[in-house]
Amino acid sequence: MKRRVLDHPILGHKTDHREEIEFFFEGEKLKAYPDDTIASALIANGIDIFGFSSSGKPRGLFCAIGKCSSCLVEVNGIPNIRACITPVKNGIKVKRQKGKGKPTW
Amino acid sequence: MVKHQALVIGAGPAGLCGAIAMAENGVDVLVVDEGLEPGGQLPKQTHKFFGHEGFFASLRGFEIGKILIERARKNGVKLLLKTTVAGIYEDAIVLYNRELEKTQELKVDYILIATGASEKFISFKKNYLPGIYGAGAVQTLMNQYRTLPGKNFIIIGAGNIGLILGYQLLQAGANVKAIIEASSKVGGYAVHANKIKRMGVPIILNHTIVEAIGEEKVNGAIIAKVDASFKPIPGTEREFVVDTICLAVGLQPNVELAAQIGARIEYVPKLGGYVPYRDENMKTSLENVYIAGDLASIEEATTAMIEGYIAGYNIAQKITGKDFSEQITKMKRELVEFRKGPFSQKVREGLKHFNISFSEGGYRTKIQNNEEPVGKLRVKIECPQNIPCNPCETSCPTGAITVGENINGIPHVDYDKCIGCGICVTKCPGLAIFLIQEFEKSSIVGIPYEFELPDENEKVILLDKNGNEIGYGKVEKIVKNNRFHTHIVFLNIPKGFENDVRHFKKIVKNYEEIICRCESITRKEIEDAIEEGFTDFEELRRYLRISMGPCGGRVCRLQTLSIISEKTGIPISELDSGRYRPPSIPLSFKAILNGEDDKNE
Repeated sequence: MKRRVLDHPILGHKTDHREEIEFFFEGEKLKAYPDDTIASALIANGIDIFGFSSSGKPRGLFCAIGKCSSCLVEVNGIPNIRACITPVKNGIKVKRQKGKGKPTW
Repeated sequence: MVKHQALVIGAGPAGLCGAIAMAENGVDVLVVDEGLEPGGQLPKQTHKFFGHEGFFASLRGFEIGKILIERARKNGVKLLLKTTVAGIYEDAIVLYNRELEKTQELKVDYILIATGASEKFISFKKNYLPGIYGAGAVQTLMNQYRTLPGKNFIIIGAGNIGLILGYQLLQAGANVKAIIEASSKVGGYAVHANKIKRMGVPIILNHTIVEAIGEEKVNGAIIAKVDASFKPIPGTEREFVVDTICLAVGLQPNVELAAQIGARIEYVPKLGGYVPYRDENMKTSLENVYIAGDLASIEEATTAMIEGYIAGYNIAQKITGKDFSEQITKMKRELVEFRKGPFSQKVREGLKHFNISFSEGGYRTKIQNNEEPVGKLRVKIECPQNIPCNPCETSCPTGAITVGENINGIPHVDYDKCIGCGICVTKCPGLAIFLIQEFEKSSIVGIPYEFELPDENEKVILLDKNGNEIGYGKVEKIVKNNRFHTHIVFLNIPKGFENDVRHFKKIVKNYEEIICRCESITRKEIEDAIEEGFTDFEELRRYLRISMGPCGGRVCRLQTLSIISEKTGIPISELDSGRYRPPSIPLSFKAILNGEDDKNE
C-alpha cells in the first residue's frame, strides 16, 4: 500500500489499525486496513480506475461521501455498490463496474 | 413501525447540536446518518476552527466532532449510522439500512433536516477522468483514511475550502503546484491564504481550468486566463504536471429530502442555490419540519451549530410544552454577533429574501500601526480582515489583546501588557500571530509551526510572506505543544527582517547531476522546466538548449525522455523523441566551402 500517510504532524502516527486484511480486485489479491472503505483501500493500492461508464470512459472516486455515484463497483457479483461508504471486508471480490451493472434478485 | 418523538437527518455539527438541544430536555430523538461515522465533515478537518471558545474555536474539526458525538451520546441521543432516509411519505418515513440491506418504517412528530451540502462540479474537457476529486473527497481520503490519491496536486478555487485543503495536503507531504482562482481576489480568509503562500504555493488569480490531460487518469492540467465574464482567453493556456486535480468551487445544499416532504424550496443564490424557506426559528413552511446548517445556507460550522441549537430548542419547546425562549434568545444573539462581519454579507443579503434581517457593522476595522517597543519580546498579529474569531483575546493571560466590542473586530495589542508568552501564537486558528525580538546584531522570530520539526541549531533557508527565499537563519529554540500540535519555532535571523521572515525550509543539497554534458544542464533544471509546463522534448530543447550542443543529443536525449516520462507518467514509447537534424557531427565551415558539389561539374 504505497500511498499511505502513516506519519502526520497533527494526527500522529497511524497505530490504530490492527492486522492487515486481504481482498480481491479484478482477481488480484490486495491488502487493506480493517478501517478502510473499499475506495480508500483501492486508492491506497494505486488503483484509480474504479469502472467504466456505458460509453467506455474511465471512472474513479469523486466525492467520497456517497453523494455522486461515481465510484460504483461490483462486490461479490452485486453491482452499484458505493465504494466510498462501504467498508472493505476480508475476502470480498471487487470488480470494476461497466455501465449500469446487471441487477440481481 | 418504529416511533420516536423527533428525527434528525444528518449527524454533522448542525444535526448533532439540534439533537443535543432536544435530548438535554428529555425529547426522544433519533439521528440518522448515511456515513460510516458521525460528525459530518468534522472528522476530516485537521485545522483549527475560527469563532469563540464557547463553540470550540482553536480546536481542530475532528476534535470538535468527538466532543459533540460524546455529548449527544451522554444525553441519550440515539444514533443510526449507515442508514439513509430513502423517502418521506405522508404515513411514514422509510429508512434504508445498507448494512442490513433492509428498509424500515418510522413515525415521528418532528423532523430536523440537517443534510448539509454537496460539492459543486464544473465542466471542462475530460473532467470525467479518475484523478479529479472534490476537495472534500481528498480530505476524507487523506485525513480519515490516511491515503493520498497522488503526489502532485492542483486546486481549483481559492475559497476557504481550497485554501484549507492546500495546507492540509502540504501537511500530509504532498506537493501543491498551485491554487487557481477564477475571480480577481482570494475568496477565503487572508490568514488561510497566507499560510500556504509563505510555503511557496502560488495562488493564480483570474484563471480557470480548461482541460485535464490524460487518457485513463489525470497526468496534467491546462489552465487559462479568464476575461471579465470568466470566459477563458485563447492563447493564455498553461500546463501543469499534476496527477490530481481538486475542485473546490463551492457547495450546494442537499435539498432533496426537504423538497420531498413538501417544504417550500426557493432559489436564493446568495444562500447557496436552492434552499428551503425557513423563518428565524429555522422552521420551514411546514409546521413540524425544521432545518439547520449548510442546507439552510452555505456558511460555517459555528453558525451550523448555533442554528442546530435554535431548531432543537424550538422543537423541544413544542414537544415538552416547556419554555426555552431564554436559550433560543441566547443562541439568536450569538448568530447576530457572528453575522455582523463582511464575510457574512452574502448570507445577510440572502436571508432578506425570507424577510430575516441581520445587522452589520459595529466592529473595529482599523489595523493597528502604533510604535512598537523595539527590543522587547512581543507578538506581531497579522490578521487584517474582519473575521468572527477571538481566541487571541480570550487566551491572553495579561489581557493585552482585544478584538473590541464585536467578535469580527481586528485584534489590537497593548504592548505594555504583552509579555511575549506565545499562548496566542499556539491558539490562533489562522496561524497569524508571530513573536519578534530585536537584538544588537540579529533578531528572533517565533513562527507557529505544524510540520515535522527541524533540529535546534539547524541552519535553514528563510522564507518571506510569499515563500521567496530571502537568506539563511538558524533554529534557536523550539517550544513544543504536544497537546494542540501548533509548535513555535524560534529562528535567529539577520536584523531588519523581523517583519519579513514568516516561514523556513530545510536546506536540501543541490544535486549536480548533469544530463546534457555539452550545455551543462542538470537534472534539476530539466525537472523544473517540466514543472513549468515544458513537457515535450522539442520544447525543452528550445527552452534549455538541451541536445543543441556538439554531441547532437547522443548523450542526453534518452535520459531527458526518461525524465519526462517519470514526471508525466507517459511511457517513453508514446513520447515524441524530437527531431534529428543534420549535421550529425560538428563540421567546419571550411570543410563545407572546400566541398565538392554540383558546381564543379
